[in-house]
Amino acid sequence: MSVLRIHPEKCTGCLRCELACSYMQTGDFQPAKSVIRVSPFEGHTSYAPYTCTQCAEGWCMTACPVGAITINAVGAKDVLDDRCVGCKLCTIACPYGTMFYDPATRKAFKCNLCGGAPACAEACPTAAITYEDVTTGDWLGDFARERTERVLAGVR
Amino acid sequence: MTARPGGFAGNLLRVDLTRRTCRAEPWAPETMRELLGGVGLGAMILYRETATKGGKGNVAWDHPDNRLVLGTGPLAGLPVWGTGGLTVCTIGPGTNGPTSTQANGFFGTNLKYCGYDAIIIHGQAKDWVYLYINDDVVELRDARALMGLDTWDTQGALYQETGLAGHQLSVYSIGPAGENLVRFAAIQGDYGHVASKNGCGAVMGKKRLKAVAIVKGTKALHAADPRGVVQAADEMAHDLRTDPSARSLYEYGTLPGVVNLSKMGALPIKNYTTNLTSNVAGADLSAWEAPKLRENFDHRGHQCNACGMHHCHMSVIKQGDRKGAIVDEPEYEGWSGCGWAIGSADRDGVAWLNTECDRACVDVNEWGWLCGWVMECQEKGYITREQLGFELKWGDVKGAHRLLQMVSRREGLGNVLAEGVKRAAEKLGGPAKECAIYIEKGATPRGHDHRARWEEMLDTCTSSTATMETGNPVHPTEIGQPARVNPFDGEQVAKYVAGLRGRRSFEDSLGICIFTSRTRLEYLCRALSAATGWAFTVDEALRFGRRTAAINRATALRCGHTGAMEYPSTRYGSTPVDGPAKGQAIRAQWERMLDTWYAEVGFDRKTGRPWPKTLKGLGLDWLAKDLWGKKA
Repeated sequence: MSVLRIHPEKCTGCLRCELACSYMQTGDFQPAKSVIRVSPFEGHTSYAPYTCTQCAEGWCMTACPVGAITINAVGAKDVLDDRCVGCKLCTIACPYGTMFYDPATRKAFKCNLCGGAPACAEACPTAAITYEDVTTGDWLGDFARERTERVLAGVR
Repeated sequence: MTARPGGFAGNLLRVDLTRRTCRAEPWAPETMRELLGGVGLGAMILYRETATKGGKGNVAWDHPDNRLVLGTGPLAGLPVWGTGGLTVCTIGPGTNGPTSTQANGFFGTNLKYCGYDAIIIHGQAKDWVYLYINDDVVELRDARALMGLDTWDTQGALYQETGLAGHQLSVYSIGPAGENLVRFAAIQGDYGHVASKNGCGAVMGKKRLKAVAIVKGTKALHAADPRGVVQAADEMAHDLRTDPSARSLYEYGTLPGVVNLSKMGALPIKNYTTNLTSNVAGADLSAWEAPKLRENFDHRGHQCNACGMHHCHMSVIKQGDRKGAIVDEPEYEGWSGCGWAIGSADRDGVAWLNTECDRACVDVNEWGWLCGWVMECQEKGYITREQLGFELKWGDVKGAHRLLQMVSRREGLGNVLAEGVKRAAEKLGGPAKECAIYIEKGATPRGHDHRARWEEMLDTCTSSTATMETGNPVHPTEIGQPARVNPFDGEQVAKYVAGLRGRRSFEDSLGICIFTSRTRLEYLCRALSAATGWAFTVDEALRFGRRTAAINRATALRCGHTGAMEYPSTRYGSTPVDGPAKGQAIRAQWERMLDTWYAEVGFDRKTGRPWPKTLKGLGLDWLAKDLWGKKA
C-alpha cells in the first residue's frame, strides 16, 4: 500500500501543502480548511507538517456512532458526508488531532489521500511530504522507533 | 457592479490612529486592474491623500496625514513561490518623499486570508499601540508593555500574548530605532524579513504604532483558474531551478553575491576606499563561496509563503563567543553592510551583527555606509575618540554593535548619526562630508559599489522611491532590450535603464518576492491572469509599471524633489582607485547620462516633470492636467 510519509527535517515551513490541500477540499485556497497542518517547533526555527496517519486501527472509525467513516479504494479512512451527523465524536477520539469539523457544512472532514494522488506531496517543493509504497501500514511506528533510537543515542 | 476578480480579498483596511478607528472599506473591483496592489495601489493613495490643502505641496513624513500603506497584491497567499508579499508605501524621512520597499514572510498571506488586500494607516496615536487583526476582529491594542523591545522580542511577546506561534501569527514591528525615529529605521517581521528603505520604521514610530500582528485568517481566496495558477507557478519554479541566471539564487539565495560582485569591483569594501578584498584583515575569499558560507553555520530553511527556493535560512553560530546564537542567515546586503563595507571578514561576527541590525530595526544598507564612514573618519581624525566616546577601527564588530546601540537609542554622537549618513555628514562638514556615501535626495544606495554598476547608480539617483526603481535586468531580451550593454558607456547605460523601466513596479504590485519573480515576465503575467481571470499581457505589465513610476514621480515633485538632487555624493560618485573597475569615472559622464535618461523616459530635464505626451501615452491624462495645467 501507499502512505504519506513526512520527513520533518526537510520542511521549511512554506505551507504550500496547506494551500494545495485546501484547494482539493474546497476548490478555493483556504488553509483553514486544509487537513494537513504545519506546526512550528523550537520557537520559530523549524516546522513540520502533520496529517492523518491512516492508523491501522482507526479510532475515528471506532468512535463514529453512525458508521460514517469508511475505508476508500486507496486504503484511506474517509468520511461519508451523507451519513455524517456532525456529532464530532471522531474529533475527540483521534489521538493526533487530524479529524476536523467544518461548522459551515456541519460535517467532519479528514485526509482521504486525494483518492490516490495526494496534492500536498505534489505541492511540497522540498519533498518533505512523499507518497510512498510501504510494506507495512505502520510506517509511523518505524519512524518513531528510528527517531527514538537516534535521540536516545544522543542522550547516552 | 463588476464582479470581483480572483486573487483579491476585496477589502482595504483603513486605520485612523488619531481617532482609534479601524474599518474595512470595500475595494471597487473596477479599479483593481488599474492599481493591482503593492506599489501600484500605494503610489495612488500617496498621490491622492498626502497633498496639502490646495494640492500644491505635500505633507511631510512626520505629519499625521502621512499615509503608511502596507499592501499585498493579487498573487499573495496563492501557491506561487514567495508570495507572502508586503510592500510598504509612505512618505519617508530619508528623502521626505515617497517610498516603495518590500519584505516577505507571511504578512501578505495572513492578511489576505483575513480578508484584506492592504492596510492604510493614517493619524497618530496618543499612546503606543499595536494593530491586531484576526479575520473581522481588528483592534488597536495597548503596546506600552512592548516598548523598548527589539523586533524579535516583540514578536516573541506577541506570540505569548496571543498563544500563537510560527506562521499562525505574522508580526511586523519596529525596534528601538523606530521608536526613536532614526531616519533609516526599518520595519522588520517574521524573523528576518525587512522593509528597509527610506526610514519607513520611523514613520511607524512617529505614528506610535509598535507592531502589526496578523493571525492566519480563515477566509477563502478564490482564483479564476486555480489549476492555471499552479501551472504558472510550476513554470516559474522550473525556470528558477534551471535558468543559469536564477539557479544560484535558487540554491543559495543571495549568498553568491559576495564573491561574484567582488569580481566586478561591485563589492563595497571599507566605505569605497578600496575594491580589493585583500585589504580587509583576515579575508580569505574562498571561505565566502556560497556553500562554505552556508555550511559555516547550522542552518535550516525558513521559507516564505509557498516558496521552494533555498534562500531564507535560520542559522545557528557554531563556534566562538557567540556559539549557539540563533541568527537569520544574512542576505548579500547583510554580508556587505555589516561586513565588507565596515572592513570585517569575520563570518560569525557579521551574521550576528546583521541580526542585531534587524532586531534594532535599522536598515542594514545605510548602516554599512554610516558605520564605515565613522570608521574612516576616526582613522583620518575627522571624528575624534572624545566625540564618539570610544575608538572604532575597521572590522571591529563589537565596536560596531556599540555604535548601533548608540544610534538606535540616539545616545551621544548617536543622536547626530541617527539622522542618517547625509545629514550627519553635512553636520560634520569639511573633509568628513567628502567621504560619506549618499544620494543628494537624502537616501543611501543598496549595499553595492555602484561605481562598477552604473545602471544602478543612475537608477537610484533618478528614482522617486529612495531606492532603485527600475531594478536590475531580468530576461531583458523579452522586452526588446539588449542582453547586455557596455557597463562603462554612460549613454548605453542610460538607455538601458530607461528601457527596462516598468517591470519592477509591476512585480512590486503583485505581492510576490523580488527573487521568485526573477523569471520571464510572461510567466508572471500568466500567473496573474490565471488568478484574476484577466488576459494580462507583458505590454500591459510594462505600461502599468511605468504609470506607477510616473505617479510616484508626481508625488516626489510635490514633496520638493528637484533635478539638482539627482546626484551622487562626492564619494558615492568617485572613481575606484583599484580593483576591476579602477579608473572608471562615472562623474565625467553623469550629465550625459541624465540627459539621455530624461529624453528616453519622456520627462522634462529642467523641471523633472513627465511630459504631457508621456503621461497621455500612459493613459494618465488627469495627471498631465495636474502637472501641466492648461498646457496639457
